[in-house]
Amino acid sequence: MSRRRLLWLAVPLAGVVELGAYFYFSRRAPRVDEWTRLREPVAALRQAGELVVVAPRWADPLARHALGDALMPLSDVARSDESRYVRAIEISAMGDRAPELVGWRTVGEQKHGRFTLRTLENPAPEPVSFDFVDHVKPDHATVFEGAAPCSWNANAPVTAGGLGGNPTFPAERFICPSGDWFFAGITVIDDHREYRPRRCIWAHPPPGGPLRIRFERVPLGKTLRGWGGMPWLLFRDSVGATPVEIEVRVGGTSVGKHVHHDEDGFAPFRFDTGRAGEVLDVEFEISAANVKDRHFCFQADTR
Amino acid sequence: MSRARRFFAGLLDPALGLALAVAYVALLLATNKDLGYARDEGFYFQAARSYEGWFSLLFDSPKAAFERANIDRFWVANSEHPAFVKSLFALSHHFLYAKWKLFAEEGTSFRFPGMALSGVAVAVTYLWGRRVSGRVAGLVAAVSLAMMPQVFYHSHLDCFDMPVAAMWLVTTYAYWRSISGGGWLWAIATGVLYGFLLNTKHNSWLLPPALIVHFVIARGEGFWRELRAGSVRAPLALVAMAVIGPVVFYLGWPWIWHETGKRLAAYVAFHTGHEYYNMEFLGRTYWKPPMPLGYAWVMTLATVPAITLLLFLIGLGASVKRGLTVRLRWLAERAGLAAAPGPLDRDLFSTELLWLGCILTSYAPWVSKGTPIFGGTKHWITAYPFLALFAAQGFVLAARALSGQRERVGKAALTAALAVAVTVAPVAIAIGAHPWGLAAYTPLVGGAPGGASLGLNRSFWGYSTGAVQGFLNERAPPNASVYVHDTAMQSWEQMAKDGRLRSDLRPAWSPAGATFALYHHEPHMLRVEYQVWVDYGTVAPAHVGTYDGVPVIWVYERPQR
Repeated sequence: MSRRRLLWLAVPLAGVVELGAYFYFSRRAPRVDEWTRLREPVAALRQAGELVVVAPRWADPLARHALGDALMPLSDVARSDESRYVRAIEISAMGDRAPELVGWRTVGEQKHGRFTLRTLENPAPEPVSFDFVDHVKPDHATVFEGAAPCSWNANAPVTAGGLGGNPTFPAERFICPSGDWFFAGITVIDDHREYRPRRCIWAHPPPGGPLRIRFERVPLGKTLRGWGGMPWLLFRDSVGATPVEIEVRVGGTSVGKHVHHDEDGFAPFRFDTGRAGEVLDVEFEISAANVKDRHFCFQADTR
Repeated sequence: MSRARRFFAGLLDPALGLALAVAYVALLLATNKDLGYARDEGFYFQAARSYEGWFSLLFDSPKAAFERANIDRFWVANSEHPAFVKSLFALSHHFLYAKWKLFAEEGTSFRFPGMALSGVAVAVTYLWGRRVSGRVAGLVAAVSLAMMPQVFYHSHLDCFDMPVAAMWLVTTYAYWRSISGGGWLWAIATGVLYGFLLNTKHNSWLLPPALIVHFVIARGEGFWRELRAGSVRAPLALVAMAVIGPVVFYLGWPWIWHETGKRLAAYVAFHTGHEYYNMEFLGRTYWKPPMPLGYAWVMTLATVPAITLLLFLIGLGASVKRGLTVRLRWLAERAGLAAAPGPLDRDLFSTELLWLGCILTSYAPWVSKGTPIFGGTKHWITAYPFLALFAAQGFVLAARALSGQRERVGKAALTAALAVAVTVAPVAIAIGAHPWGLAAYTPLVGGAPGGASLGLNRSFWGYSTGAVQGFLNERAPPNASVYVHDTAMQSWEQMAKDGRLRSDLRPAWSPAGATFALYHHEPHMLRVEYQVWVDYGTVAPAHVGTYDGVPVIWVYERPQR
């Protein structure tokens, strides 16, 4: 057979190879029942406070479906970043690795079916001594619109605006005098990194004065670290809008002010508390020169 | 050959074309049940019902039907798109469902015209491929088109995308016949068909420029000579398109019978100023210009089977080579160095130039960084029949090279084997992708998992509700409310009407308060999922609908407290 004709054999061969490749790729990703079988080994491996991360990231819903809230709680799934975690369990399918865990040290590895479960250690963890998001409740916090108190409601009407509307306004929240949009409570917003989830305290500055959220008896670390932003889908085009200011006071003394610009997305801030080891009140004051459509939401902790 | 034999031989290819169309429509009908109704289908169901009201009035009281108040009342629905295909949806529902009860589901009767036109596209692709490249190559072209996974998906729908691809193809075919010695009847047919194409979708605006450019280039020196002399002889078909096309368009769209200029202007403005939607591409969501210039090409590469693309490239390469040869011989003839290219060469050059023009025109909007990319592959789907026709040419070259000097039977067997080898993967991919058509990616990018890892769009239009209807029917308590997310309310209602979803399930606009919440995945829609998390107090979906292990739609169930 001439070389030229041999070359033409590539045509039918390409067809057959594509068929084989189709069958290979269509069976490559683990199925729902395989994910379900992962629950026990992951539960056995994971210690309290450890993060579970899925690679590839698009398989996350399958992992959440299979593992449930106990192994993948909202606070982990909608975390601001990974810096607080000492260890993480990486569920790897198809040989993928989680980009957020690059640089972490592998201390254990197990094979389960078509998965690899890795235990990874953070080379420089920053353990959290107090997460403000977890304490937006009357036993730790009081909230004011200017000087007027915002009242706690553990059973407020829940609303969610769908694609173009508000994030969920939760049942448990401090409701301020100016109406529905002005409260302090926990919700989840989408951020600028392809709409990833961020669990945060809704803190829309109200018209009747700055929103002040005061936490009592906060065990302080060296720093107060936080992130703030607005729902990205709604504000990704609002370049140059009125900035939102968040000022932090520790024991009545201002330790810093973060100015949020919409185009920054969910942006970090960090202040020195100067009072490490002490237990003091911490107050967040959120304000804007023009409060219209300032859907600010923040996460903060001491470490 | 006797006259009778010649007569029957002449019927063979139309019969084969018809058989292909019928088989394709039968396959579409057989796979229709679990393909949920897409968002836009819901709007067209509603429009078709409205138009059906007008047709009923026309049948019962023709005079009243032509009164302006009645025209406006019935035809105002979805007046941002012209009427031809929606009229077919309406008539199909009126006759095939309501009157003759041919379909068990109302939704199928709405979808049927789209399926039938897709069948027409497959048949005409065969017939054209048969005329240019031979019978087996024509079959390869037809199957290659039918089994492009996204073509297969869109062929099911009560939408305009496959209909416009079919009408574009049929109009161009008629044009080609008219300029290939087919006579004035084909030219008139081109004009009439172009009127229907205009009345199908606004892609139709792009065809005349493609045909004019084709005419200018294919005519070669003759055109410029005529132009200099001040009398260009345009093909009759082009004249028919200019004269008959607008008349047919006007007559077929009652909405523009009154306030014609104003309403046409609104129609044009809607599409030239179309809002920007969100589209995920290579891990990033685009929602405003500049759009990535590679979008259409990369998506074609990722969604059309590689073997089809390979044959296309072979066919196109040979065509370019032939085209250059023809041009060089024309030039050589002018210099008195060689004889002019023969009529066969010229005809093939003209044909392939026409195909290429249709492909380039279909992709042309994506040369602009300002063109919205919200609809994915469906927006250049008009190119795909021509891509398949080039693939047929590629097939011929491969078959010819591989069969060499064999005797007739050996040649036929080898050609048949080659045809199977080049179509089996597309068939497997398209059938395997059902009912997840928009999540289908070819092995070239690693299939559906590869597409997801690359950050390519998995779904839009909320159609995948059909894939979780079984779960909802089984799991939901009586009268449960379900947040429908991206599924249009009309689409949900149609699914309930057709018995696909339990009729006691209540669709809800907001996840808050609903017992179940659907989530159709697109990155920019994730915020809706987060709303469910906070409201339901869980991040664990109760059910995940996957294609080849890739989540496409998932369902949350409110935990009982």
